[in-house]
Amino acid sequence: MLRALHHCVLGCLLLMATAMPSAVFAEAPVDFNRDIRKILSNNCFQCHGPDAETREAGLRLDNFAGATADGAIVPGDAAASEVMRRIASEDPGDLMPPPDSGKVLTASERAALAAWIDDGAAYAQHWAFVPPSRQPLPPVKAFTWPRNGIDNFILARLEAEGLAPSAEADRNTLIRRVTLDLTGLPPTPEAVAAFVADTAPGAYERLVERLLDSPRYGERWAQLWLDMARYADTKGYEADRDRPMWRYRDWVIDAFNRDLPFDEFTIEQIAGDLLPDARPDQILATAFHRNTMTNDEGGTDDEEFRNAAIVDRVNTTMQVWMGMTMACAQCHTHKYDPITQEEYYRFFAILNQTADSDRNDEAPLMAAPTAAQAQARRVLQARHDDATEQLHAAARSLASERATWEASVLESSAHLLAFGDWQVLGPVPGDNPKELFDTAFAFETAPELGKTWDGGYRYAPREGLEDGKVYSLPGTSVEANLFFREIESPAAREVTLYFGSDDGIKVWLNGDVVLEHYVGRKVEADQERVIVPLRAGTNTLVAKVVNMGAGHGFYFRAGAYLPAELLAILKTAPADRSAADAQALDAYYAGHAPELAPLRERVAAIAAEIEAVDASIPQIPIMRALPAEARRTTHIQLRGSFLDLGEEVEPGVPAVFHALPADAPPDRLALARWLVSRDNPLTARVLANRFWAQFFGVGLVETGEDFGIQGTPPSHPALLDWLAVVFMDQDWSMKALCRTIVTSATYRQSSRVTPALLEQDPYNRLLARGPRFRLEAEMVRDQALAVAGLLSEKMRGPSVMPYQPDGVWQVVYSGDQWKTSRGEDQYRRGLYTYWRRTAPYPSMVAFDAPSREVCEVRRIRTNTPLQALVTLNDPVYVEAAQALARRIVAEGGASVAERVNFAFECVLARRPVAKEAFAVAGLFRSEQANFAADPGAAEQMATNPLGEAAEGADLVELAAWTVVANVLLNLDEAMTKI
Amino acid sequence: MNPRDAYFESITRRHFLGRLGAGIGGAALAGLMGEAGAAGGVMGTHFPARAKRVIYLHMAGSPPQMDLFDYKPALNEWDGKLCPEEMLEKERFAFIKGHPKILGSPHAFAQHGESGAWVSELMPHLAERADDLLFVNSMYTDQFNHAPAQLLLYTGAPRLGRPSMGSWLTYGLGSENQNLPGFVVLVSGDKTPSAGKSVWGSGFLPTVHQGVQCRTTGDPVLYVSDPAGMDRGTRRRSLDTLQRLNEMQYEVAGDPETLTRISQYELAFRMQMSVPEVMDIGREPAHIHAMYGATPGASSFANNCLLARRLVEQGVRFVQLFDWGWDTHGTNPSDDIVHQLPLKCRQTDRPIAALIADLKQRGMLDDTLIVWSGEFGRTAMNEERNGSKYFGRDHNPHAFTIWMAGGGVKAGSTFGATDDFGYRTVENPVHVHDFQATVLHLLGIDHERLTYRFQGRDFRLTDVHGRLVNGLLA
Repeated sequence: MLRALHHCVLGCLLLMATAMPSAVFAEAPVDFNRDIRKILSNNCFQCHGPDAETREAGLRLDNFAGATADGAIVPGDAAASEVMRRIASEDPGDLMPPPDSGKVLTASERAALAAWIDDGAAYAQHWAFVPPSRQPLPPVKAFTWPRNGIDNFILARLEAEGLAPSAEADRNTLIRRVTLDLTGLPPTPEAVAAFVADTAPGAYERLVERLLDSPRYGERWAQLWLDMARYADTKGYEADRDRPMWRYRDWVIDAFNRDLPFDEFTIEQIAGDLLPDARPDQILATAFHRNTMTNDEGGTDDEEFRNAAIVDRVNTTMQVWMGMTMACAQCHTHKYDPITQEEYYRFFAILNQTADSDRNDEAPLMAAPTAAQAQARRVLQARHDDATEQLHAAARSLASERATWEASVLESSAHLLAFGDWQVLGPVPGDNPKELFDTAFAFETAPELGKTWDGGYRYAPREGLEDGKVYSLPGTSVEANLFFREIESPAAREVTLYFGSDDGIKVWLNGDVVLEHYVGRKVEADQERVIVPLRAGTNTLVAKVVNMGAGHGFYFRAGAYLPAELLAILKTAPADRSAADAQALDAYYAGHAPELAPLRERVAAIAAEIEAVDASIPQIPIMRALPAEARRTTHIQLRGSFLDLGEEVEPGVPAVFHALPADAPPDRLALARWLVSRDNPLTARVLANRFWAQFFGVGLVETGEDFGIQGTPPSHPALLDWLAVVFMDQDWSMKALCRTIVTSATYRQSSRVTPALLEQDPYNRLLARGPRFRLEAEMVRDQALAVAGLLSEKMRGPSVMPYQPDGVWQVVYSGDQWKTSRGEDQYRRGLYTYWRRTAPYPSMVAFDAPSREVCEVRRIRTNTPLQALVTLNDPVYVEAAQALARRIVAEGGASVAERVNFAFECVLARRPVAKEAFAVAGLFRSEQANFAADPGAAEQMATNPLGEAAEGADLVELAAWTVVANVLLNLDEAMTKI
Repeated sequence: MNPRDAYFESITRRHFLGRLGAGIGGAALAGLMGEAGAAGGVMGTHFPARAKRVIYLHMAGSPPQMDLFDYKPALNEWDGKLCPEEMLEKERFAFIKGHPKILGSPHAFAQHGESGAWVSELMPHLAERADDLLFVNSMYTDQFNHAPAQLLLYTGAPRLGRPSMGSWLTYGLGSENQNLPGFVVLVSGDKTPSAGKSVWGSGFLPTVHQGVQCRTTGDPVLYVSDPAGMDRGTRRRSLDTLQRLNEMQYEVAGDPETLTRISQYELAFRMQMSVPEVMDIGREPAHIHAMYGATPGASSFANNCLLARRLVEQGVRFVQLFDWGWDTHGTNPSDDIVHQLPLKCRQTDRPIAALIADLKQRGMLDDTLIVWSGEFGRTAMNEERNGSKYFGRDHNPHAFTIWMAGGGVKAGSTFGATDDFGYRTVENPVHVHDFQATVLHLLGIDHERLTYRFQGRDFRLTDVHGRLVNGLLA
């Protein structure tokens, strides 16, 4: 009897707690995850949970062993359990939770606890930490309704609640819904007409395939991912300067469009650079974690902000893939989820091994040419190769001139240069690389061999330093190294010198600065090219290389002088020369013979074009692993402060989850594989849930950002698992996941709601009707431009600056300005709009777009008057209304009635009903009369800001239609996916 | 309440707050955006509020406390001498290099009012109001660069992404006017603060809580003006048609969100009238213009002070003024303490004094909290960047002065003290988080109980810090 009472109370409790009818649960025994965990977690874990630091009285209630050790809980006997005595105590000093905590257990919660303890107090692993298994489809009575597995789960629940699904939405509604969902744009009137007319079986499925194949699909779904990737076009913080990241944005669009499987999508973004033989696009994908902010402000400690970036990466990774909130564990062991502070820093350690370090130059960078740039580069390279070949052929054909030249070279020794060995001085340590770079040291202005300067500095030979080869310097700190050598030249002449450096380089010849480049970069061959005048006799060459941190190196070669080996070849009789020698000499001759100058100039001109293309190629911040010798050690940071270090930790993942792959080092690649392992209990669920939320407005787990113990439990746990397993079984295809969802009968229901259903299920968690909710910020804009016929279909490329009111960008230290784009760039899709973190595009913000300062996995939808002001008055939307008005007049037929029909078809993908048409036509007529009396106002209304109408256009008519179009674009139905 | 009504009530809240709202925050939105019957914070405060609204005067860039309010004769005795070694221990400066010299104040101080507060000659009008002011000379912060320090001051954390103080307050308390935003920002000095709009951003709170920047040129609120060629009659008729069509849609589809949208369009229509009206200082009489030194049509701090009064008068909860130009490093005459500082004081002294007097004469000072501050303090040493011959001071997180006036503060007194050079706090230090806790307290809010759950954590303005400073309370 007592047991029965408990269960009854429990049923009521659940009814309240989950805000949904619970007929399904009413008969079930007490379930720890469903009924008990929340009570303990909300009321007890703060002091009696996983965090030992704040644990009171040595008691933990988050596991069986802890709870039962000292009789706090006596399994099977609630009456004997101290916990029950304390929560019922009348004595404030005894009562739990303590009165000053503000927490109070309700009678039903106490009853639930008692029932659970009487049942044996069985603990269970949190549902989301147990890997999903393929759930059998539940049987349903209305067995003809399901179109796929989703529907069995939804219908079984509806039938249990005594509900029936809604009828399928009409075709006009369906095509608008699915087109908005899959492409982010409304269907064209032509597409609507074609779909409505397609009565053959499978019309809807064909429509879905067409939409999934559309390039618009990738643009729409990239937007979801870019919120999570905290993608923006600026660096953040004070100056918030420009950062060209758009190649990463384009990578995401392309990845969606080519349906890159989610596991590869993951691995490439987290660790593409660590893949064997990584392709450039795989390295580009690692820009994902370079979307962290960089602080340019003077005097900031780069290590502090580098550390902040790693913290962001830890939190973002767990948030995006596993729906876990790690942020708490940065400062202390998680109060609710089983993640210790040590585990946080073990995870941190995995991500703490990349070369980026909050440097102003954003190094390491990668040249990421667009397809067009790569193509231009290939064409130019081919032309360059051709021209070079022609040059060499010409050189070979000039036999007699060649002989004369050889003789003249041998006679004159003017080409001969003698290079002394490099002598190296350093390292000269410093705090500030720029200071080291700018300071004029005596040993660089007046270098001397054999001399020792203050501090013991002297030039000395260095092993392993070889011309034409990259030389890695040993230091990784801020320091300068100086390279000194002498060059003997028999005559005054010019010589070309090539350098490479990590980082900044300054070069003197005979005391004059001939090259100065303060830059952060990795050393490569031929990064700098300088032509210097040698004098006859001894010349001194000094190079200073200043390292800003991490890797450090130098490169040198001299071009176009007659090297000793060529001289040797020349001295050999032509017949005795080896083939290789002859070739080397040919090449040299081709490069120097006066007769060949025009051909050489052509080669040089093409080379200059190549250089120009190279200079325009965006340099994108990417991830690069530190070399083994430069790895960082990671310590626990006490209270989350990077200056207050505790014990050193090894890289690893929280013990509550599966282990990292055993056969690989615990690096980012291992982490990426761990995230998408079949053993991972969360990733597939979390992602399936995110997609679900895009289609239905709310996830099966409402708190998409928190699948942990404090998150909300799933509305349909078995469906979530089924979807997750199907997602993985379909090779992580995101298009397949979308297809499964949109072809379900559940998705295709009408969204109309009756008062009775609204009362029973206000939030539509049971899905007895189709989804209905406001469009996202980008869609609001894109739709207005699309129906107006203004939208540009141009894809990819640098972010654009459509019209924005003056004064939105006012910045203190960065001189960057909003420069309104011209031509079609004003009308690009919203995801191409320049995203400045400290001043995002105002109309997007009004519609709940985040600032992208940190990862945001769920936009909260609001409904505010500021939104109304945007779509009523923002010149972008006024312009759209004007353009739509022109379409209505040009394409909508002759009568007002026909034009109203056309306008509805454009905006809502349907025709108006009679009373709607009547209301709209009435507005048109009243405004036509109004503007007829004021032609000046009519002209403004019809043309400002869109521009002049066609010759002979009736401006009064256009103005009145503009008012109508403005109304239609503001309709609740237009702003809503219905 | 029938389930339908309960739903209507909850849906707004749900959509605004994502059903994550906790504590008193649930009331917020309703009030902010004019839901029927909900204006003014239905759920009440944690304890009786001493102030109902805030005007925050931020001197962006940070004024030098020892040239304005924290009188230090020792500075002038040491002027030009190398500063004591211990002032440099473990110090990191933004710009000072080597061993700097103490910089005396070129401006004379005198005591004012019954309280005998020391105020520099640069603020003659404010000095007359000394007995209305509570000086806190012992403020300190963790941050010595503008953007992080401003973020710490307004959002409780030195990085981007957290809600600002005004957002927390409108989230917690709502607004008292259904036709105006609850949190309004006014900027003068031609530049926005270093940390950009994040200092009035809503962070993870719903975006309705972010400060609405009212501009003195162009539209006072973005997009508040009807398109060119559209008169109010056309707008009214078009909104009537829009409403009819939306109602037809509601009859068919039954989504209560449609009703919310209808009401928000009506509110937008009212805002189109009320915002330009409240922002039009031309409606004030000449003697008020003279009192503030305001000029209709101009963009100035004086105009913003007058606007602040008009806004709070209309029930706006939090008005935040940012005035740029106080970053007095002394690299040239336009950022030194001899030329630039007096200029900034001339621009702000009269309007601030007028604002206090005006609120007082309207009986509003008692329940309006005014705060004046920078984001950190400045050094006792002359910065002398690159050997500059102009006098200026570098950033100093260890000590700065703010003052408060009005609702619930201990007016006519000075709290806390710094060392002989005004360089470090030595008595009753008040951290930025303590200050935030105290401001919330004055508005009736327990800073530990105004929370919002995000990424699995309960966040609050004071992060995990902050304690109420009782010494600041009347």
